[in-house]
Amino acid sequence: MMARKSIVALLVALVAIGAALPAFAQAKPVTVTFWYGAAASEAGQPPADWKAYQIIRDKLGVDLQLVQLPSTSSDQDTKINTTAAANNLPDLFQVNRDTWYKLAKAGLLAPVDSLLKQMPTRTKDRYSDAVRNKLVTINGKMYGFAEPGALPGTDGFVIRKDWLDKLGLKVPVTIDDFFNVAKAFTERDPDGNGKNDTYGFCGYIEPLSMAQQGLGSRFDAILGAFGADSTWDISSAKNFGLKVRQPGYYEAMLFLKKMADAKVIDPDWATLKKDDFRARWKQGRYGMMTEGYAALAMQANYKDFDTNFPDGEWIAVAPPKGPKGLSSEGPFMRGTRIIAVSAKAIKEGRGPAIAKLLEWMATDEGYYLLGFGEKGVNFDLDAEGLVTVAGIDPAKAYTAKPQAPLLQLKNYVYRNDPAELKVRYVTYKTVKGRTIDPLAYWEAFKKNPWSESTGALVINPPANAADFWRFYTENQVKFILGLQPLTPETWKQYLDGLDRLGAKDFEKAAKAQVMEAGFIK
Amino acid sequence: MRKIKSTEEIVYQVFVNALLLLTLLIVCIPLLRVITMSFTPIKSGRQILGGLLIPFSDWSVAAYQQLLTHPAFLSSLANSMIILVLGTTINLLLTIPLAYVLSIKGLPGRKFLNILVLIPFLFNPGLIPTYLVVTKLNLIDTYWAVILPGAVSVYNCFVMRGFFEGIPEDFKEAARIDGAGEFYILRRIILPLSKPIILTVGLFYGVSHWNEFFAPLLYLNDTKLQPLPVLLRNILLAANVNEYVDTNAMSAAPIQSLKAASVVLTTLPMVIVYPWIQKHFTKGTLVGGIKG
Repeated sequence: MMARKSIVALLVALVAIGAALPAFAQAKPVTVTFWYGAAASEAGQPPADWKAYQIIRDKLGVDLQLVQLPSTSSDQDTKINTTAAANNLPDLFQVNRDTWYKLAKAGLLAPVDSLLKQMPTRTKDRYSDAVRNKLVTINGKMYGFAEPGALPGTDGFVIRKDWLDKLGLKVPVTIDDFFNVAKAFTERDPDGNGKNDTYGFCGYIEPLSMAQQGLGSRFDAILGAFGADSTWDISSAKNFGLKVRQPGYYEAMLFLKKMADAKVIDPDWATLKKDDFRARWKQGRYGMMTEGYAALAMQANYKDFDTNFPDGEWIAVAPPKGPKGLSSEGPFMRGTRIIAVSAKAIKEGRGPAIAKLLEWMATDEGYYLLGFGEKGVNFDLDAEGLVTVAGIDPAKAYTAKPQAPLLQLKNYVYRNDPAELKVRYVTYKTVKGRTIDPLAYWEAFKKNPWSESTGALVINPPANAADFWRFYTENQVKFILGLQPLTPETWKQYLDGLDRLGAKDFEKAAKAQVMEAGFIK
Repeated sequence: MRKIKSTEEIVYQVFVNALLLLTLLIVCIPLLRVITMSFTPIKSGRQILGGLLIPFSDWSVAAYQQLLTHPAFLSSLANSMIILVLGTTINLLLTIPLAYVLSIKGLPGRKFLNILVLIPFLFNPGLIPTYLVVTKLNLIDTYWAVILPGAVSVYNCFVMRGFFEGIPEDFKEAARIDGAGEFYILRRIILPLSKPIILTVGLFYGVSHWNEFFAPLLYLNDTKLQPLPVLLRNILLAANVNEYVDTNAMSAAPIQSLKAASVVLTTLPMVIVYPWIQKHFTKGTLVGGIKG
């Protein structure tokens, strides 16, 4: 009898253990490593007791291991390339396009098409832009998630309205109007201080991307009047090539030289850095420029100008039209952050966990926690349902510097919808009580013509990129400054020089890349 | 009686002094520019000598304030100090015995050992093999990942070896006759006579560790372990990219001032330490460099 009871007890115990084992196995979270690009590189990683870790572990069964990538693209590439060579890529990681392309071609990245179906909300919200998706597509398969990057079309043409009013001038419409206004701003003391210290226009050399080499974005409004505002013509396969070969580019150089000869542009333009440029427009030296809406109008950026010139006012206007009626703010590129999934992660069965994590980040819970923090602690919602810091301890508000580590993943959840942008870019009043809305500038820029140039982002630099672009830019600067004569003959010699540096092969390779990504057929 | 110098000597002396003065200016002017830049406020002030100086009343400490009050500054400084002290100690503990062994004239296989040590100096395996070794040894996210790969510098070892070879053999022979072992000779005879070279090589290692940037970037994923150069660079980059700031975490100082202040803060410890070991530095490098 006793023996029978013992056997029954043993059997019950075995059955109980057997039932518990799968549950125990399921309870163990799946570790997913995510190398992210920091929203604030100086702020450091989220702390070990970050609430998101716990939620992700409890709700999704994912043990999230975050690693912050270095701040610069080149350091990021070095780190990722090194780990790739050691076959030690993380499961999920942000990567620059050039490196992404090489990893995809080497078979180290997994196609993500199957994962998209497992995260329908996130796919609908963030991965439905057909143009952006081309940036991560090779031969019809997506090898990464094309996250929305920085807001596009943020830099536009602006002018000092108070100077126009003082001199009785109208907003320039044509490129000739632009020149005349620039001359007036330079010669007629628009700030009324009795000194000869103003210039009609200024920019600085800032090549930003494959589409903005040469003089860069600060001169796009002028170059655009001649159809020369982007490095590449991506309008069609037939027209594809470097815009520098087009007649409009030469005409743009002639116009810029005319501006330099008339001294309506700050003579230091060729050696200015971004910091100097911004310090100088805040000192009231320039009447017209191309500037980013946030760099111009965010309160912290605008306040020095406001202090120096309480009556000063910048307005966004359409870029000037050229002789053929062309105008453009510059190349329009749908910037993207690429998040790739390593082939190793999929092979080891972590695909569903990755999809679960990304899908959760697209829910309201993930959006608010990663984008703004904890409700009631770091932010609250006002009557309209907009994020606010009213009633929140200022030290704990999501806008406070110490909270920056909690928001390092915000770029992967921000929706860039009007409600969110209204919260991120707040309106404020100037010293004289005028209301400034940074987003209003962006809205105005968007209404102006742009040159679609997203396809240029897939172009890989040539092996001699440094030499090529140095020759490309330095000669343009010399032409404008008059250090070498600008004639059809010398321009042809310049183009021949580019060809000697491999321009034709570069164009051929670039065209193949743009066609492979589906931007031109 | 004072020796009367000839015209030739006077001309020569004037020429040498002028050359040295010119060299001094070439060295000091950029340094002065950096220091001035680090105290330049965001509002453009009056400039003296083309920006080389600004009036003292215009000086601003905003750049230093921004760097020194950063929440991670102290921890990054501590990380740098740990890497510096631990790293330099390990470097010397490994380099000194190796250099001494290679300097023993009668050592069997000495030539072979010297070639063995020289080979990795001439043929660097590169980044990937080093990364593989560090990963396989599970050193990622530890100070050892930054310290151990460069624990022995062959160049420094050979400089030290040259110095040890310059120590008269009689000292060692006398000790050996009295029954002293090689370790005893190293500890009680060689090291006390080698202060110049130890300080010199220690300085080389120390400067290298203080400026450590790339290895932490690659091997230290935990930002709490990042040393000062990495933090300073991140602060500079954050200040530079300020267009989309939502938190008004704006730089209070121009980016050029921040860069200059970073340079001053990073070089300051070495500038403070250097005068104390300067007298040993020249002697150590010269003697170590001549021999061998």
